[in-house]
Amino acid sequence: MRLLLAVALATAPLAAQSPHTRLEGRVPAAALPGIDSLIEQAVAESLPTEPLVQKALEGGAKGIPVKRLVNGVRHGLVQLRDARAIVSRATPARVTLDGDVASVAAALARGLDPQLVERLLAGAPPPGESPGPVLHAAADLVTHGFPADSAADLLRTAQQDGLRGSRLLDVAVAASHELQREGGRTPMEALTRVRAMLPNVPVATPPHPRTVTRRAGPGS
Amino acid sequence: MTQIDPRLQEALDGERDPATLPAGLREAFARLSEAAQLLRDPPAVSVAERVMAEIRLDATVPAVSPLGAARRLVTWLSRPRAVTLRLRPAWTLALAAALAAIVLLPIEQSIAPKAHEGIAQFVGHFPGARSVEVVGSFNDWRRGALPLSDEDHDGIWHGAVVLPAGQHEYMFVVDGERWVADPLAGRYVDDGFGAGRQNALLIVRP
Repeated sequence: MRLLLAVALATAPLAAQSPHTRLEGRVPAAALPGIDSLIEQAVAESLPTEPLVQKALEGGAKGIPVKRLVNGVRHGLVQLRDARAIVSRATPARVTLDGDVASVAAALARGLDPQLVERLLAGAPPPGESPGPVLHAAADLVTHGFPADSAADLLRTAQQDGLRGSRLLDVAVAASHELQREGGRTPMEALTRVRAMLPNVPVATPPHPRTVTRRAGPGS
Repeated sequence: MTQIDPRLQEALDGERDPATLPAGLREAFARLSEAAQLLRDPPAVSVAERVMAEIRLDATVPAVSPLGAARRLVTWLSRPRAVTLRLRPAWTLALAAALAAIVLLPIEQSIAPKAHEGIAQFVGHFPGARSVEVVGSFNDWRRGALPLSDEDHDGIWHGAVVLPAGQHEYMFVVDGERWVADPLAGRYVDDGFGAGRQNALLIVRP
């Protein structure tokens, strides 16, 4: 494989810069007041601001017109609010973490039904473990045409069998492979096959490029 | 080795009268005779005496004095020294090739992911493209931070990067202007800007 030119770029700590500073020069000046206002609202509501900053940076990089850019950030704020409400309902006894809210917002952005998200969270990983993998695994299964409820049941079983983190993604990968097997299986047949494998679903092989570069970080 | 003129050799050996030599050889004879005389005469001060004199000079500075130590260091550093370097051509060439490889080749290195990082590999088929880069949430959507490469010009652009574990949204930017969601990503998410465009979604495993 072709080697990639590799430059380990310095990563400026995100926390060291205010959102406004990070956005200056990266989004149209006309969009800045609106975005600043939305970020201030997020701060006031104790919502994570990084997803909003990222959305603004994305819009700036893509050259999105000002109005649509601000609307995109506003849409992100609404998703964060929805996500926080879901997390609070699903795990009322736990402190709501920014990371969990962001993970749920990402799952909603992927099109997962809010009720399914809430259900997955309620049976969810132990405190301190991100709900991201189980939500992404569910979104993967739904995207591949598996019935949402059956997908959630399979993931719940996988969790009960001790699978955690990225191993839950392996469950979704295994189900997709079963679906694509020669001869064809129905989604329900594929899920049944994977359920029978649990907890020994195949582990996805990570990429092993000969040379990689470190993340090109913010401020680079 | 240069051959010495036989007549000059004879004169140096005392077998010929130097006065009978041609003018050019007479001059050479005179220089060689002077050099021979210098070598015959003992030096006014022997090498051993000069070395001992230097040692005595150093001994006049108190060994425990920081100032003296600093002065000696400065003297040592500032004194010119002859360095003899003997090189074998084969080793020299090998060394030069190694240095050239380090300096001239792209800075390529294997970077092992840490505990909460993973390797993300990007592959895109863009025949005829002049450049392809990856822009995403992992680099603040900043252009130019992660270019892909297609060394064999087959239209398949590659790249790999160590990223924090978790989800990252990204796009390919082709020829600096065309934003394309990675067709091989398998996961996509609406970009939220209202035009129905999607970002590719990458989940990096630790």
